[in-house]
Amino acid sequence: MMKRIFTIVSGVVASATLAAQNRFPKPDFESGYEYPNLQYAVPNEIVWDVADIVMLVALLLSATWAVMKRRKPMIWISVVSVLYFGFLRNGCVCSVGSIQNVVLALVDGTYGLPWNVLALFLLPIVFAFLFGRVFCAGVCPIGALQELVNIKNGRISKPVTMVLGLFPWIYLILTILYAATRSRFLICQFDPFIGIFRLGGDVELLAFGILLLVISVFTGRPFCRFLCPYGALLSLFSAVSVKKVELTKKKCINCELCHNSCPVDAIRAPYANTPQEERREGVKRLLGYMLLMPLLVVSGALMMRASAEGLSRAHKEVRLYDMVTAYEAQAAPEIIPLEVEAFYMKGRTMEELTATKDAIVADYRKYATWAGAMIGLVLAIALMRFSIKRRRETYEIDQSSCVACGRCFEYCPQNRVATKLN
Amino acid sequence: MKEKKNSPLKRREFLRMCGTAIAGGSVLAVGAALAGRAKAGKGDIFWQIDPAKCTQCGRCETHCILPVSAVKCIHANRVCGYCDLCGGYYRSNVKELNTAAENMMCPTGAIERKFIEDPYFEYTINEELCNGCGKCVKGCTSFGNGSLYLQIKQDLCVNCNECQIAQVCVSEAISRVDYATAYKLKE
Repeated sequence: MMKRIFTIVSGVVASATLAAQNRFPKPDFESGYEYPNLQYAVPNEIVWDVADIVMLVALLLSATWAVMKRRKPMIWISVVSVLYFGFLRNGCVCSVGSIQNVVLALVDGTYGLPWNVLALFLLPIVFAFLFGRVFCAGVCPIGALQELVNIKNGRISKPVTMVLGLFPWIYLILTILYAATRSRFLICQFDPFIGIFRLGGDVELLAFGILLLVISVFTGRPFCRFLCPYGALLSLFSAVSVKKVELTKKKCINCELCHNSCPVDAIRAPYANTPQEERREGVKRLLGYMLLMPLLVVSGALMMRASAEGLSRAHKEVRLYDMVTAYEAQAAPEIIPLEVEAFYMKGRTMEELTATKDAIVADYRKYATWAGAMIGLVLAIALMRFSIKRRRETYEIDQSSCVACGRCFEYCPQNRVATKLN
Repeated sequence: MKEKKNSPLKRREFLRMCGTAIAGGSVLAVGAALAGRAKAGKGDIFWQIDPAKCTQCGRCETHCILPVSAVKCIHANRVCGYCDLCGGYYRSNVKELNTAAENMMCPTGAIERKFIEDPYFEYTINEELCNGCGKCVKGCTSFGNGSLYLQIKQDLCVNCNECQIAQVCVSEAISRVDYATAYKLKE
């Protein structure tokens, strides 16, 4: 209790000083004392911003060239990316995280989107649209780091891959939800590799990052395949890209070598597709899934809308509201939380805070409904893809999963002859 | 019979072309929409503390992602009263004005005190030792002229996309600023 009185008294003192702070007059020096001239350096970020974009474009072009020429994977791209974007630039700001800035700029007119962040966001998408996911190949320091430690291509079973493959989409949707409501940057907060690039940081995240790296020794790029929201975004563009990643111009001889060499399991084996059922049955099933889609979308939207109140706890002001309410509900409060202390110190009122909180929760209700609908849509599309089976006569690259790393090029015997890799 | 002629491959190609058109169109649309925003943006790329809002909660010391916080105490000499009994230098319950450890406000001994002339003392922050805990700032703001205040040193800050201190700042004092106002100095 004494402590509380003390803190409130000191709070009043401090808030009074915020208004007028010249308790003591300026001294009249007689000894000819001169004020020291302190200068505070502002680093020229513009130079770094330009360097980042130049580096990004140079690496993207190199990766594109390697893919178009069907060269061996260019390890130096990965090494340069890890050293520059990772260790030198501390892995911040990256294209993956730029999603959040872009979302914020789209919903909040007052947020000034830096031009370099816009470039970091758009350039990999433009390249993915034109040539496939060359950004993932080795330009992204996260992908590059996993690529560099990868030794074995352990296969994960199809259903598990399917289920895990849904995570990037849900992560992307939640990221957009939290960025649009100005709550937090989910990707930045839970980046497992930032601690590695900064040589220190949050212990849990560091452990998670190291675990991911250990996994990527045995199976290719776990983060890129099962977590990366930006990769999910890029896969939309690479699936319909203008130029595709092509294994060889020559005829495939179905040797299976490319399939074994692919770290992300993006090469689909030949498939006879001899239907076990009547065509009509298959169409019926597909129609069933299509009817299921609106159901999933609506139920997803409703579920997320119902949990909007809980989700909004991610916002600082809503948490502050909870704290103040909890504090005022106590009969004899012992400790005053720092947040609540600052709340009283700044002379904020409960009415104003309640109004702010209500506005945020309303915002959440709107965006969470959309997010829920999108999650429903993602699930529905995943279900529908189960029922679509295509006939393949040769080994084919799945353009949306392919990260354009180029490992298959040196394994394909036809390509080895054509590009004289031997 | 007409349907049979349309082989699935052609249909697939047509769909893919539609997809390409949609994807290309959306890239252009989003790019154009954002280019306007990027131009309108003032280029607020630095994080900075507004000393008028700061309540010296002490989280700057503990929540920066750097091993030692990029937040440091800055001293505005022109605001300072050059007092002997300095609220930022001595603890509030100090009995004797000497440099014994129990009398010092700063836990790392980062405040250097120099006698100028009677009765004035000059205070200087040793940035190497300062950890941005804000104890001296609280003392100076509560009992003095408020010449000690916290600022994010731009040469130390690594410019996270989202400042971890801003996430936990109790007084919403941290925001993005542009190059011209990279420091919010009291002078």
